[in-house]
Amino acid sequence: MNRRKFLLTALGGTAALALGVSLYQPQLDLEVDGDKPHRILFSLLLPVLLDGALPEMSVPRDAAVNRTLDAIEATISVLPASQRDELEQLLNLLENRLGLLLLTGNMTPLLLRSPAELANQLESWRESGLALFNQAYLGLRELVMASFYSCPEHWSLLNYAKPELPGIKS
Amino acid sequence: MAIVDPIYEGLASGWKHLDGSDYQGGDKPETLEADVVIIGTGAGGGVAADILTQAGLSVVMVEKGPLRSSRDFDMEERTAYPNLYQQAAALKTADKAIGIFQGRAVGGSTTVNWTTSIRTPPETLAYWQSEFNVKGLSAKELEPWFEQMESRLHISQWAFEPNRNNGMLRRGCEQLGWDYTVIKRNVLGCWNTGYCGMGCPVNAKQSMLVTTIPAALSAGATLLSRFEATAIEHHGDKVYGIWVQARDQNLAPRPEKLMLKARHYILAGGAIHTPVLMMRSGLADPMQLLGKRTFLHPTVLSGAVFDEAINGHSGAPQSIYSDQFVWRDGAAGELGYKLEVPPIHPVLIASKTLGFGKSHAELMANFNQLQVVIALVRDGFHPQSQGGNVSLDGRGFKLDYPLTEPFWRAARAAFASMAELQFAAGARRVLPISEGVGYLNSWQEARAAIADMSLAPLKTVVASAHVMGGCPMGEDKNKAMVDSLGQSHYLENLSVMDGSVFPTSLGANPQLSIYGMVAKNATALGGRLAPGSKVPETAPDTDPVADAAPETASETISPAALL
Repeated sequence: MNRRKFLLTALGGTAALALGVSLYQPQLDLEVDGDKPHRILFSLLLPVLLDGALPEMSVPRDAAVNRTLDAIEATISVLPASQRDELEQLLNLLENRLGLLLLTGNMTPLLLRSPAELANQLESWRESGLALFNQAYLGLRELVMASFYSCPEHWSLLNYAKPELPGIKS
Repeated sequence: MAIVDPIYEGLASGWKHLDGSDYQGGDKPETLEADVVIIGTGAGGGVAADILTQAGLSVVMVEKGPLRSSRDFDMEERTAYPNLYQQAAALKTADKAIGIFQGRAVGGSTTVNWTTSIRTPPETLAYWQSEFNVKGLSAKELEPWFEQMESRLHISQWAFEPNRNNGMLRRGCEQLGWDYTVIKRNVLGCWNTGYCGMGCPVNAKQSMLVTTIPAALSAGATLLSRFEATAIEHHGDKVYGIWVQARDQNLAPRPEKLMLKARHYILAGGAIHTPVLMMRSGLADPMQLLGKRTFLHPTVLSGAVFDEAINGHSGAPQSIYSDQFVWRDGAAGELGYKLEVPPIHPVLIASKTLGFGKSHAELMANFNQLQVVIALVRDGFHPQSQGGNVSLDGRGFKLDYPLTEPFWRAARAAFASMAELQFAAGARRVLPISEGVGYLNSWQEARAAIADMSLAPLKTVVASAHVMGGCPMGEDKNKAMVDSLGQSHYLENLSVMDGSVFPTSLGANPQLSIYGMVAKNATALGGRLAPGSKVPETAPDTDPVADAAPETASETISPAALL
């Protein structure tokens, strides 16, 4: 195992522990690539933030979640370094037990929390009187909403499509 | 039908263009010389480049963003925002309470704006004259310059029926007897598709990208794209050069640098980036004015659901505005607000609304029945509306913009006006975009709820598409960095030609104000700089900045050799 691989494994292990992967393995409908940063975290948040927008049927639902996870990566990649760093800090806190304690008041890994509990957590950040929590809520919300609705695959929900113009690339 | 792409064709014809992402410098930084170097290619830089090249001067234009043209514009937000906007359209104030849309590509914000073209309000010009000792910019003195630019950029009143999003603004105003105006737009042969904000795919929008910049390049100017101006070399009362650093395809800095030398330098990077460059370069600022009084027209939003289809994504994004409330209490009185509508596209609406989960999904499911009005608050006139503050931080800059009590009073009044207007136009439900209010079912219900609603940063959605100020103009050095012609008070060969010179916000969309004032100022400058090939002055041996920088041992090359 080379050094890079070792480091990646170690980091992945830390994140998985904080998310509860090693303690509890619920049946996930989708294949989550845990090697990719924050993919597990977002796979937990997406069904909550996008409740009502994601398809009900499992196959299209998984496809929409995976498509959005890819879009989130793409969105993060185009953010300027300073914003990316801030977002990384937030995501790392959510993947870290002490960070969870700070942000959510308890150390229960996010993977062990029900969608209703996660929704309550987001609501409490949304309604909080502290700017830090509002910013955490808005940062996650904007990233997920923008990534989901940027995908043409998800526009049928809106009955929206960009016009087809002669001579314009589609 | 093939769309003619003037950028593609111009490059094929031999325009002088250097892309920082593939520029290969030698061991020593090279020097590029011209009569005038212009930093920024938006409304200010584009017009200045055109006028100065037509005056016979050699010009180098510098743009941090990429050169994109109609063949790149695919009418999708996921492509447009990262390619064409500052910080992928995610630029925010330091406390994250205000999201800012500002262009960053060749053509600047003119490449992505919604084409609204409004002359500077006479009330604003009068206020600048009386409060900031601005000379020569009365409505009468500016009139010929506005006429010139309206003709140059095909600015005329939108002759077609407004789309239904704008149509509801008009209907509400008609029902209530409020003022409204049909907007003038800078378009020629517009296809009325509604995608101006993602770059015009058919080159109908007469932005700098397809007008002044091609004209300047055809007249021999040089364009550097993906190059960022990093430092102004100056000594005494003179600028001796500007360093520009190449950027890669993701706009990350590359090691390659160029030194640009000229007889005169124009900063046109827009409010925020012009003051930032001046601060970073340590230019004289004895009154500590740089970056202060930065104005945003902070904007609040009101959604409405109609029974009929609105389809706010389709058709000219802005074609009607209402000035009913802009000047109601006088220039320095309560903050007025202009009523307009935004285009309704998926990412813009999904991110600038409230909530998540089922409530948000329901809002988005009403996408085509959704009508949105925005209120642009006129900041910078009231004594308690001092705007924001741009300052350097370790990695770049930050913009603090405190939302003060007079702003919130204006916001509350604006929410009420927008709801009243939307119900008068026939809305079934109105949703002020601020936490805790929810859908309102009648004007009576809305009036009471809005009077009591709590408004706060990060709870009330506030956005901005207009950045102004930070390097104010006027004849009084205590209040201004540049004179009324944009000429620096401290450096004899430096001018500023962009919206950063505005001493307050405008109370109107800024592009035509910048066009008109820069046309006036660049024409005056062109007359002052006799055409010719005079060799730029070089820094004296005693220049401490130059001595400190080993890169100044540079080779001078001609533009032709570079390209």
